[in-house]
Amino acid sequence: MGKRYAMVIDLRKCVGCHACTVACKSENNVPLGVNRSWVEELETGKFPNVSRHRLPRLCNHCENPSCLNVCPVKATYQLEDGTVLVDYDRCIGCGYCIAACPYDARFINPERNTAEKCTYCHERVEAGLQPACVNTCVAGARIFGDKNDPTSEVFKLLTTQSVAVSKPETNNRPQTYYIGADEKSLRPNLLKIVGGEK
Amino acid sequence: MPTVHFFDTPHEIYWGLLIALYFYYTGMSAGSFILTSLGTVFGIEKYKKVSKVGVLMAIVLLAFAPLHLLFDLAQPGRFYNLFLHVNLTSAMSWGVYLLILYPVDLVIYAWYLFRQDFVQGLNKGGFKAGLYSFLLFGKKDMSPAALANDKKKAKFFGTLGVPLALLVHGYTGFILGNVQGRAIWHTPLMPIIFIMSAMVSGTGLFIIVMMLVEKFKFGRIGEDIRSLIADIANLMKWFIVVDGALMIIYFIVLWYSSETGYAAGYFLLHQEGWSFLGLENGLGMLVPFLILLSKKARQSLPLVTLASVLTIIGVLAMRINLVIGGQKLPLTGSKIVEYSVSGRDLSIGLGIGILALVVLTWLYSVLPMNRPGVQEKESIPVSKGVAQ
Repeated sequence: MGKRYAMVIDLRKCVGCHACTVACKSENNVPLGVNRSWVEELETGKFPNVSRHRLPRLCNHCENPSCLNVCPVKATYQLEDGTVLVDYDRCIGCGYCIAACPYDARFINPERNTAEKCTYCHERVEAGLQPACVNTCVAGARIFGDKNDPTSEVFKLLTTQSVAVSKPETNNRPQTYYIGADEKSLRPNLLKIVGGEK
Repeated sequence: MPTVHFFDTPHEIYWGLLIALYFYYTGMSAGSFILTSLGTVFGIEKYKKVSKVGVLMAIVLLAFAPLHLLFDLAQPGRFYNLFLHVNLTSAMSWGVYLLILYPVDLVIYAWYLFRQDFVQGLNKGGFKAGLYSFLLFGKKDMSPAALANDKKKAKFFGTLGVPLALLVHGYTGFILGNVQGRAIWHTPLMPIIFIMSAMVSGTGLFIIVMMLVEKFKFGRIGEDIRSLIADIANLMKWFIVVDGALMIIYFIVLWYSSETGYAAGYFLLHQEGWSFLGLENGLGMLVPFLILLSKKARQSLPLVTLASVLTIIGVLAMRINLVIGGQKLPLTGSKIVEYSVSGRDLSIGLGIGILALVVLTWLYSVLPMNRPGVQEKESIPVSKGVAQ
């Protein structure tokens, strides 16, 4: 099997410092108001029975990416290692990929005027480095690597731990695997948001 | 269990008013064309009277519709990439070709409908004769064989236009329907709902346009057109019945589909209630349906006009509720994504609308709108239609 990059995020280690969000912005010159990676944080329960959960989000570099399927000009493409990228010179900025991504991973870069998202810091990975968010994580909660390589940390975690992905039902087959994710953080509680749940 | 979200990352709605208007325009183009093709294509004699009015309306609406898309692009100068690169899995990519084939077919169809009148109008002199002479491209043959050929070709291109019209609007249904991530869009009914609501709004707008053309081209709405309007109003009633049934089926299945589907249904009934229940389905479908139930009302021009205006408003609300409402439901985080139309989008939408109206009015005023048995009255200055 060829190389297939994936990310495992061990939420038992995540402290919610948002250093990944900041490192990503800094590494990729992401303008204010938009994010390639961010951390959702929520608190459940009532004192004294409470818990706090975090969910770092980024592009899932899916096996079957909705964004790639809907792009009318094939500006979004996928490398053999699974990385999903956008050709900024070809993108017409129609916004279809943004509407189709189930993970809110994409946005229009207000300076470049094209669709944009996490690239797994492709230029760093090419140079043998880790993505900026992985590199900066104080707790080592983000683990990046080749999930087909039996010696990789990602492979070991995926085979020995129970993991969850966000919204598997959409058939995107996302490649960000969470360890210890709270079910409430993996998808929005829509019924509550629309006022249907007290 | 109480859950509190911190650090909600804001997300934006990128498909706003312009996209909803694009769906609206292509819909009315397809709807009005299919309705008026009943004469030429399906041989229903009385509809032949209005084929020309309908095809011009369909062409102009379709010519202006893609402008909304162009102005919505973040990189409008790169629109040509749509022609250079094809992605067969993208419904938007299918649309690029349909948006060319359909209007080209309609223009050829219209040319065969108008050719005879162009030749007859050559002796009028002035600008119109010059225009007709140009538009004829030298094909002035009025022999019975040539006239028969006109009829044959019009039928061919008109017939081709019907599936193209269904596709050009059906594909927009796929644009939304193919998105798995949004339960409110992800239904196989979407293309059919789009086509049926297009029949409703296309018929509604066509009735109004036809009455205006009659009034300003011929001075009065003739008896034959009055009885035709009653027939079309009856058809519109049935279009509303089918469209309404589809909406009910859509909603029931949405309600029982999934957690997100149920929430989407709840959202349509509550937060979007005034627009979904009130505007779209109440004022836009139920009221016109009730009006058109009565045979007397169908024969009354003011009541048919009222019903038509209501359907046009209702279908616009439907496009907005689906396109924008669908994106208000968040995919991550814990808040409804807010949308407010920007001044830029609103001005572009209004600008395109006014421009389309001006071009359509101009076409109706310079082209020969004669129909079987009725000739244009030369004494009536047609340009009045614009001012009033």
